[in-house]
Amino acid sequence: MVTEEVFFAWLDGELDADEAERVAAEVEADENLALRAEEHRALQRRLGTAFGTVLSDPLPEAVLAAARPEPEVVDLAAARRERQPRRWSGLPQWAAIAATLAIGVFAGTMVPHRDDDPVRIEGGKVYAAASLDRALTTQLASAPAGDTRIGLTFRDQDGAMCRTFTQPAASGLACRDGQRWRLRGFLAAPEVQAGTYRMASGMDPNLANLVGTAMAGEPFDAAQEKAARDKGWR
Amino acid sequence: MVPTISFDSELVAILPRLRRFAHGLSRNPADADDLTQATVERALRSREQWQPGTRLDSWACRIMRNLWIDAARARSRKDKVEAPAEEGELVGEDPTSGMDASVDLGRMMAAMDRLPDEQREVVALILIEGFGYREAAEMLDVPIGTVSSRLVRGRTALLEMVGA
Repeated sequence: MVTEEVFFAWLDGELDADEAERVAAEVEADENLALRAEEHRALQRRLGTAFGTVLSDPLPEAVLAAARPEPEVVDLAAARRERQPRRWSGLPQWAAIAATLAIGVFAGTMVPHRDDDPVRIEGGKVYAAASLDRALTTQLASAPAGDTRIGLTFRDQDGAMCRTFTQPAASGLACRDGQRWRLRGFLAAPEVQAGTYRMASGMDPNLANLVGTAMAGEPFDAAQEKAARDKGWR
Repeated sequence: MVPTISFDSELVAILPRLRRFAHGLSRNPADADDLTQATVERALRSREQWQPGTRLDSWACRIMRNLWIDAARARSRKDKVEAPAEEGELVGEDPTSGMDASVDLGRMMAAMDRLPDEQREVVALILIEGFGYREAAEMLDVPIGTVSSRLVRGRTALLEMVGA
């Protein structure tokens, strides 16, 4: 005779194969046990159906609001879905990026290069240079050094390695192009962009949008980031 | 930063399941949504305590269960002086004939509400959420034999209340 605990453990698939077989044989031979098993299976199905309706309900606004990230946390998935700038609604994302890049291009073409400029313009493309190039090539997100702090590392839709970075006056996204880092976005820090406006902290929403659009898959964890660096960002 | 992003997206992904577990624990849908919201808030505040690579659903369910227990303790003191739910209001009807699943949810919640808390939580974790006995035991910090015997009593009482 099986105990109640063993009977239900069998019903719930908690027994190992041998014991399950033994209990199954006993249940099959006992009409009352078989009936009881069927009643409890029906109860579980009914619980599954009734409570399953909750899964397909739309989530209440208050629950969604609670799960919405705080300002310092950027929801890349949402950024990828929206692909719209959220804070500077009057100015499209591409315009903000183009404007800051245009300033860079202008400065790059009209002003003689200095060896410590963080960007260099060549053939109409903007590349990381000097300290920015070194930071992108050698630094890990966990170990900020100098003025540059590395954020995310990931592969873009074409498989190129990309990294975000933050400096005191700017942040941006650079992706591997041959042996160099080509800038996909270089954004002035928010207080520079918007005068008195100052972000609480964290990633510029325009940069987050850019990352969300460029990124394929998930950002690298610390181990993947280090492995990618050790392999030369291929 | 990387764990932060996967934490947020995983948390959003398990919201419907968290909300279902909340319905398994709560006496009505409004309480369930309050509990879900409180759990999400607590989970976000405690995010450093979650270890990436471990199951976020178990971790969040444990948070929810602890919040519910805290509220239930306060509630049970109050309930002792209130009239108990009417006996027999759930029995004697054909429970399944043509019944809409969302209507049945209300009946099942009412029946679950009459189980003692320690039976109700194992029924919700194992029979509704599909956790194993061992996972439930770890979440509740009780021996697996305790989970097993509470589950026997809980599901037997539930079947008596609702038929099947």
